[in-house]
Amino acid sequence: MSAAVETGWIGRSLERREDARLLTGRGEYLADVRVSDCLHVCFVRSSHAHARIKDIRLDAALEIPGVVGAITGAELSREIQGQKIPVLIPAFPAKYRQYWPLAVDEVYWHGEPLAAIVAKDKYVAEDAAAAVEIDYEPLPVVTDAEVALREDSPRVYDDWDSNEIFGTSYTGGFEADQIAKNDAEVEALFAQADVVLRQRFRTQRCGVCPIETRGALAIWSETDGLTVHLTTQRPHIERLALADLLELSTAEVRVVAPRDQGGGFGVKAPFYREHVVVCHLARKLGRPVRWIETREEHLMTVSQERDQIHDLEIAADREGRILALRNRGIGDVGDGRQGVYWGFVMPSLGSVMLPNAYGIRHADIKLRCAVTNKACMSPSRSFGALPTRFALERGLDMLARKLGLETAALKRRNLVTEFPFISVTGVHHDSGNYVKAWDKLVESVDLPGFRALQEEARASGRYIGIGFACGAEFSGIPSDVLVPLENQPGYGVVTMRIDPRGKIAIHEGDAPQGQSHETTMAQVAADAFGIHPDDVSVRHGDTGTTPLSSGTIGARGASYTVAAIAEAAAALKAKMARYMIHDHGLEGATADDFSFRGGAVIYEKDGNIRREFAALADRIVMGSINLPAGEDPGLEHTAYFEAPKPMICFTAQAAKVEVDIETGQFTILDYATCEDVGTVINPIVVEGQVQGGVVQGMSNAMFEEFLYDENGQQLTADFENYRLASAADVPNVTVGHSPTPCPDHPLGVRAVGEGRPGPVPGALANAICDALAPFGVESTTLPLKPEMILALIEAGRAGNGG
Amino acid sequence: MEKTITVTVNGTAYTRTVPLRLLLVDFIRDECGLTGTHIGCTYEGRCGACTVQIEGRAHKSCMKLAVQADGKEITTIEGLGSRDNLHRLQQAFSRYHALQCGFCTSGILMNAVDFLNENINPSEAEVRRALVGNLCRCTGYSHIVEAILAASATRHGLKPVPPPAETEPPP
Repeated sequence: MSAAVETGWIGRSLERREDARLLTGRGEYLADVRVSDCLHVCFVRSSHAHARIKDIRLDAALEIPGVVGAITGAELSREIQGQKIPVLIPAFPAKYRQYWPLAVDEVYWHGEPLAAIVAKDKYVAEDAAAAVEIDYEPLPVVTDAEVALREDSPRVYDDWDSNEIFGTSYTGGFEADQIAKNDAEVEALFAQADVVLRQRFRTQRCGVCPIETRGALAIWSETDGLTVHLTTQRPHIERLALADLLELSTAEVRVVAPRDQGGGFGVKAPFYREHVVVCHLARKLGRPVRWIETREEHLMTVSQERDQIHDLEIAADREGRILALRNRGIGDVGDGRQGVYWGFVMPSLGSVMLPNAYGIRHADIKLRCAVTNKACMSPSRSFGALPTRFALERGLDMLARKLGLETAALKRRNLVTEFPFISVTGVHHDSGNYVKAWDKLVESVDLPGFRALQEEARASGRYIGIGFACGAEFSGIPSDVLVPLENQPGYGVVTMRIDPRGKIAIHEGDAPQGQSHETTMAQVAADAFGIHPDDVSVRHGDTGTTPLSSGTIGARGASYTVAAIAEAAAALKAKMARYMIHDHGLEGATADDFSFRGGAVIYEKDGNIRREFAALADRIVMGSINLPAGEDPGLEHTAYFEAPKPMICFTAQAAKVEVDIETGQFTILDYATCEDVGTVINPIVVEGQVQGGVVQGMSNAMFEEFLYDENGQQLTADFENYRLASAADVPNVTVGHSPTPCPDHPLGVRAVGEGRPGPVPGALANAICDALAPFGVESTTLPLKPEMILALIEAGRAGNGG
Repeated sequence: MEKTITVTVNGTAYTRTVPLRLLLVDFIRDECGLTGTHIGCTYEGRCGACTVQIEGRAHKSCMKLAVQADGKEITTIEGLGSRDNLHRLQQAFSRYHALQCGFCTSGILMNAVDFLNENINPSEAEVRRALVGNLCRCTGYSHIVEAILAASATRHGLKPVPPPAETEPPP
């Protein structure tokens, strides 16, 4: 197939190649994979937040016709390894507690699985799960992280000396005396400061639950071992972990992430306990076994992030320059038993990201994480950083009000201006122009015009406000960060093959969930070879056919994987050029003398010397005689890409709101961003990532909240009680651009996937507080519920003398 | 307890003996093998991923029993248009990048087709209100709204779906 335009594929809003199947109901999601003779699993989950299991009686369940088997935690713990294995443990010290996927002896949160039923279909499996009888002995429950950190708190784990699972300082160094010295220096700066802001900020437990829940379909073969299709962002890590847990050779484990996954957003990145149970049951029963998570299970067990408290202090001079920052964070990580992240890696990275895009030179930042009798914190897009973004962006607005400065000017004054910049917590900012993007945003929202409008509105009893926030977000995660953080490599890798017909296949070991890899990666390869994207196929997610990589996390697609595609293409083009030089006797020519365009390889110094791309591929792959000296036949290359240090993708965001002071309800009038994504591969895909990310931030900020009562009962396990934003709740987002190509990326791309929700709650809350400045309203907690806003208005009115 | 029912799905009659408690969405997925209809909230009627048309009107198929569809005509996403002959709304969804993971898309399309049949020239606010029963986690909804508006604007005279306004090009 060929089209009129055969070069310049990068930068075009190409319609997606995924769409034809997804729009016609032919997607290939996990629940769509059909195998004959498949059994279904239903997990029996704890109805207590903390209790000793005195007895589990399966008899009544096993008598139900259609039930094939059942397993308890006690039985399972004798048959497979516990989940504390090296591949699932980060490389820094914390309390990593051994556990099995089904509770043994004790349950630690409402919803913890303690048995599994296998039946002929899901209806029967659910009947049987309801028939399981369990005797519990309730134990003391702790659901508040601050309470949990007190000496006299009940212990979640009675053999731990405290509920603190992890705690550290992010500033000053690694030795106690270095840290103490730094803390003293920071204290001295606070003592000299013109102004100090001290405020506690709290973000509620919420996350980005995808519309497709989790699941697994395991097939056991005596010949080949285990093949498991499962919802995951990192199939290769799942494979290593499953092999270790089931004591299989890695040669016997193949993990297939489905071609289509219904969203992930970090939620499908951890190693979850249910997967291994499904695999073990398939092996034990010798039949395919499937589990598709219900929404209730999902909301009880995963998608819970953001649960952090920050006691933030900012020292500044009269002009609003930040002199120093001090922060004491607390993370509520739930039970703290979950492969890869163990609940605390998110708040830990949140503390690292706290200084954001601001050039803060002095800080004292510490974090303590507590276990509680709640579901383990699991990651969500804007990993760990949404809470610290909220704290600092709100804090800086409060500081601006204290100083009588315009918040947009105060923030601009503090942005990083010289690159590369190493933040006080060690985050490497590679390049960019934060001030330029900031200015473009501020100009686009017409700040002076808005201030005039605001004054007019107030005179007529209407309250409108504007709020700003920004995010310096990771564009991929280098090994330099990922190896210590998660014990996994950060490199991007693809295997690229060109067949004798000139068709290109790209194999990547990641597992996208809607990020448009099949389209954008085909654009990149087509651009490099001067062929049509329809002649490029992208295959991902199957550990049997792809090179090992860490998965679709942290905006790694457009940053690391695309960079690997560019490098693989360069290597194969160089090889094709060497064959041209040999075959046409072009002594002295180099690879640079050839251009790849219009489906041909052309010698630029003599346009008559050209070969059709497919003909040259056929000659190299099939015509393996008369080879250039020292040259291999074939056109296949595996390329690894690694940036030495993190690359950053900057976003500046502004919200305009109107608040009804009688009800506390607010309307988002406008939401604008300015992005530095460097080189844009597909503009409409980038725009979609920003629109979606921002609305996730809005939904988190406005509605979503997992609630537990004092007994640890989870009260929000359906979409009525755990509310997501609908189309009617949110506006269109105006997406602007201020690109600076990334020098560490072969194409200059900065990847936009990860951080977009993070600045949103700060921008929205700042806009609300700006609107309500006459009442002195300063919101410090999320979600931004009307009753909370109304209470602040009323408190303000009372404080103002009514 | 079981009952023998005949349900016509996308023009094909399926006669099956099914348990009374079998949900329509499971009938469509498991008995008819039409997996384009999805399950997102697991039978709460909240996410809308399972939306199909029964006798031409949008319904959430997780809120109905299969036996309630006995004798009825159902259209699922597989019956809306084919790869080579996409429905105008399907074309608009692709052109406006109104889907990312695609999991909610079938339900949104089946709802939106019904909506556009009743609303010839809707406003943006009307489209947003019409989507309240369909949750999407990827797109932030804007591109979906634009696609539906673009498809509606082309109803009269079946003009091609207009392309989206140019997103700002990098300088």
